[in-house]
Amino acid sequence: MENDIVNGRAPSLLVVDDDRETRELLQRFLERAGFAVTTAADAGQARQFWQPGRYRLVILDLMLPGESGFDFARWLRGQSDVPIVMLTAMGEPSERVAGLELGADDYVPKPFNPRELLARVRAVLRRTGNGSAPSRGAPKAFCFSGWTLDLARRRLLDAEAVEVPLTGGEFDLLFALADRAQQVLTREALHDLLRGRSAGPFDRAIDVAVSRLRRKLEDNGRRSHLIKTVRGGGYVLASEVERS
Amino acid sequence: MRLKLLSLRPRSLAARTAFVLVVGIGVAQVVGLTTHETEQVSLEQEALYRAAALRLGAAYRSVVRAGPAGRVAVVDEFDGRDGLRLHLDSVPESGGWPPLAAATQRMFRRQMAMVPVPVTDSPHAVLTYGNGAHRLVAAARLPDGLWLDAEFEILPLRPWRSLNTLSVFLMLTAVTAMLTWWAARRLIAPVGTLAAAADALGRDMNAPPLPESGAAELVTAARAFNTMAERLRRFVQDRTFMLLAISHDLRTPITRLKLRAEFLEDEELRGKVLADLDDMERMVAAVLAFGRGSEDEEATTTVDLAELARTVLDEAADARPDGAAGLHYVGFDHLPARVRLLAMKRALSNLVMNALAYGGNATVRVLPPAEGRIVIEVDDEGPGIPESHLESVFQPFRRLEGSRNRETGGVGLGLSIVRNIVRAHGGDVTLENRAEGGLRVRLVLPA
Repeated sequence: MENDIVNGRAPSLLVVDDDRETRELLQRFLERAGFAVTTAADAGQARQFWQPGRYRLVILDLMLPGESGFDFARWLRGQSDVPIVMLTAMGEPSERVAGLELGADDYVPKPFNPRELLARVRAVLRRTGNGSAPSRGAPKAFCFSGWTLDLARRRLLDAEAVEVPLTGGEFDLLFALADRAQQVLTREALHDLLRGRSAGPFDRAIDVAVSRLRRKLEDNGRRSHLIKTVRGGGYVLASEVERS
Repeated sequence: MRLKLLSLRPRSLAARTAFVLVVGIGVAQVVGLTTHETEQVSLEQEALYRAAALRLGAAYRSVVRAGPAGRVAVVDEFDGRDGLRLHLDSVPESGGWPPLAAATQRMFRRQMAMVPVPVTDSPHAVLTYGNGAHRLVAAARLPDGLWLDAEFEILPLRPWRSLNTLSVFLMLTAVTAMLTWWAARRLIAPVGTLAAAADALGRDMNAPPLPESGAAELVTAARAFNTMAERLRRFVQDRTFMLLAISHDLRTPITRLKLRAEFLEDEELRGKVLADLDDMERMVAAVLAFGRGSEDEEATTTVDLAELARTVLDEAADARPDGAAGLHYVGFDHLPARVRLLAMKRALSNLVMNALAYGGNATVRVLPPAEGRIVIEVDDEGPGIPESHLESVFQPFRRLEGSRNRETGGVGLGLSIVRNIVRAHGGDVTLENRAEGGLRVRLVLPA
């Protein structure tokens, strides 16, 4: 994304939502945030506008008239590995899980907070790499020190496959640390990942999130210092990460 | 209830019915037994009179046989034996008593005649006097005009002499009372069933219907009750559906408004608009969560409940930084359990946010699993809930007086949602006021 901006080319997004007002408002909002936005009212239109490699990310409302968002997402996955952020109906957790298993990269329940949507879009773009690096062959899970970070369903499992609940922000944080294991991530870099997720001054927010993650990962005693604090302001996941 | 029987006006319908019946039967028994006793006394008296008549007859025969010469000796022989006083006189001796009833006099004469005497010697007249109780005076005129006067001492006859009668009376009364009590209770029992059903309906809209069986009146009452319950259910259901529909539709305008708010120049205003929209979103979310209820297909997974509780507290602290200091977790570091993660998280979150809103703090305690149950308690140090409302606050849209304000927010579904979720897990949730003050919510889940 930063490369695109440097190149004077705004990263292009495809927004699929059946509500005209929402569509137009989203377009204005995302364009103001530096994206080029194409909108489509339904799956048919979205398919017309679709060109391989043209879009960096698709924002897809699951509640579409006619062909459902799920079907379109499946079709899209058959075409390309373009990142998908789904807009799910609030109060339908099954929709969320189904969406994630279909290969969506993230989901935002409607009614969403626009800034949170923006943060998720940026996080997904960062996660899927600069440029249009394909996410095909992208890992389904990160395994480290007995823990499994299930990327498809955005959850953390311990060695006995017991799910340890993570908040969305904690998952993103752990993902970032695991994705760049043994690399130091500054608070600023981590802050970008958590923006829109939590209230309060961001330095503190990150420190708090890290301390909670440590509690969840390390309170067995033996595994202390899995997430290490680096002098000068940053954190590093000090463990081998196996991608699968 | 049984103790109340002792008071003059028993409270329960069964006791009252039994009381009236037992008193009535008791009175009937007293009247019956009294009649029986009086009858008995008059029968015995008649027997005594007959005996007296026979004795007088026998004395008369001896006196007549002895003839004028020997009769004084005969009279002396009879005189003074077994309470009989006998003497000869020129006039009939009444002893100052009134004559007996004509029927008794006839009976007496007939009985006397049972002792055979030659017709020529039979008494020319027999007069009897007495007070009907302990004295009987009789006079029989001898053929030569002299009177044979007799005075019998008769044992006084009183009803209720025998202890037997009293014990029979008591026994009968006791048996009747017991039977009556049993029957009355059986008869009145359906009223209790109806009351219990009404009470259950108040607690749980989906309580099972009353069985429509038994006596005709009971069937009618049960049917009427079930119809009423069904109408109430439909009423609540319609209201829920309406709210669900509104909430569904509200998602789009809220989304638009949130986007529009982003274009507001005034930052303070934007913040306030977004905060209002967040409030609206929370209410919509509550209604949707309630409406979804048991149709939720979220899969059950093994989740660390202890960590879930702490995550909920973390999120509550983020949402309400001013209340963060009052949030505490006590208990295990880890406790794996089979639950629906998102649903259980919402339940715990509702409870923690309630405790924060009404009590200003929240302590979540995960107790050691015992007897196949996991117990989670959420305590606050607020004012608690009046005992009479501990159950009703679980009802959808039910809120305590005066709580409908911005501070606490919500639409009155929080606890209903919690209960739906916990019951869907095969557990239950109860409220109690703690002795130290504040409310305790107790979740019980199968381990």
